Amino acid sequence: MEKILYGAMYSFKEIKSSKIFYSFLIFALILISGSYFVSQTSFINQGRIMVDFSIFAISIFNIFIGIFIGSSVVYDDIEKKSVFLALTRPIRRTQYLIGRFLGLAAAIIFSTIIMMLIFYFVLLIMHKFIVPAMPVVKTVRHAIKPPLAGSMPFTLYSLPQPLIIQGFFIIIESVFISAAALLFSLVTSKALASIFAILVFFIGNVSSRMNDLIKPVRKVINGKTVTVHQANHTLAAIVHFIYTVLPNFSLFNISSEAAYKISVSGGGISYRIIYGICYTALLFVISSLIFASKDIA
Amino acid sequence: MIELKNVTKYFRVGFFGNKKNAVKDLSLNIEEGQVTGFFGPNGAGKSTTIKMIVGLINPSVGGIKINGYDASDYRARLKLGYLPESPSFPRGLKGIEIISYYSNLLNIRASKDAIDEALKSAGIFHAKNIQAHKYSKGMTQRLALAISILGDPEILIFDEPLSGLDPIGRKEFKDIIFKLKERKKTIFFSSHVLADSKELCDRIAVLVNGRLIKNKDVAEIEKEAEAYSEERKDNSLTGEYNTPLEIYLYDLMLKSGKN
Repeated sequence: MEKILYGAMYSFKEIKSSKIFYSFLIFALILISGSYFVSQTSFINQGRIMVDFSIFAISIFNIFIGIFIGSSVVYDDIEKKSVFLALTRPIRRTQYLIGRFLGLAAAIIFSTIIMMLIFYFVLLIMHKFIVPAMPVVKTVRHAIKPPLAGSMPFTLYSLPQPLIIQGFFIIIESVFISAAALLFSLVTSKALASIFAILVFFIGNVSSRMNDLIKPVRKVINGKTVTVHQANHTLAAIVHFIYTVLPNFSLFNISSEAAYKISVSGGGISYRIIYGICYTALLFVISSLIFASKDIA
Repeated sequence: MIELKNVTKYFRVGFFGNKKNAVKDLSLNIEEGQVTGFFGPNGAGKSTTIKMIVGLINPSVGGIKINGYDASDYRARLKLGYLPESPSFPRGLKGIEIISYYSNLLNIRASKDAIDEALKSAGIFHAKNIQAHKYSKGMTQRLALAISILGDPEILIFDEPLSGLDPIGRKEFKDIIFKLKERKKTIFFSSHVLADSKELCDRIAVLVNGRLIKNKDVAEIEKEAEAYSEERKDNSLTGEYNTPLEIYLYDLMLKSGKN
């Protein structure tokens, strides 16, 4: 276990100081900070535009970090031969791989937290979309003895629940896609692995909508209710197969709920978390099996 | 002790995945406390053999045991240090961070003094706070050496340890190997520089085209070399190779390579 943690720490340090990581981070921070200017293009719902724009920036840049670093984290080690010294220590290959992957996951968590914090401060400065953190204030007031009680010099604000949950889903989604990129990088080149991961992400985002489109619909024709197939059976089977096999990334996109401050139910959150973790674990197990038998020449 | 038994390694090449042998039916015992030099021309299969020993590559046929454990088992590497050919390190990490990571992997929890000692013995102490990707080739090689001798391993495997080093670096590196030899470490190193053979090795193994063509003590090979030198009339190689042993090994590789 210690070896995995050391590997994760080492991996995190390495990723944190990589150019690709902080380039994406800086870009995302610029976009989040610039969301205010984008929101000024509208007279109404400026807060919603800021939220939509910033969530998109946080999501896409974390996905990029997941894909591009996920496809290079082990691939580069093998290409540059820096893996030689590590794997010839008394360490199992799986332990090494877990360490590298956890380091990458930690880097994604780190970047998401930084981005969400900047997003929070932008909303705080603009005084848009934030909600008073009542439970916290109450607790503080109870804890403080008179005469200070009831005269807090400031009000604590937090992001609304769906926005916090969206941030959490972005982490799961990015770690998930990084597991896919890692898997592809073990069987093909880094560039192809990135392309495949982007394709999986894209298809995973639209597959549920496509599946909905090809579903048979009931229509009333001449007073009779009939089921109408909107696509031929072959196409429907292909779309359904893709929808079933490939991960459904649209599950992690709750930007509509976030933009309209609609709370997400506990069941929905748990389902998405379990789905994401199980799929990531499955991809990681396959990667681990491939890596264990791979000739590292 | 390291034991290679009928080891063959082939790689699949080309569109149809044709088999190409890198090592053929190699059987070799590397004895404890000895320095074994593994010589052969470029492409002979030396690095492939070493990578199989350290568990980076799996043999296609045959088996390799290190202290009784299969080479693919992580326990085989408990007392093993490896210095790869052209080592490299990830960007952005300082020398001291890298060495501390590897000491943690060994579960030796090396103290600051122990890490400093390893860095000093490899002659890299002055650069410990510099990021490793900014090191010169010699410095990178020294850092890798410091890592390979961390934890005082019983078995040391060096893949072309002297390649690319300047004369001063070569001399210092050889001194380190001599010190390890005095401490009765089992050392197995590959080289295609024949001049390294006599001064460093107790035993010499020669690999050509993936086949082991010689595996004897230096004294025995020297006798053969002396006899060969007397037989041989042509001294055209005297400029490049000065000793009968070097000339003998050169001719051996050349003839076996043609066959």
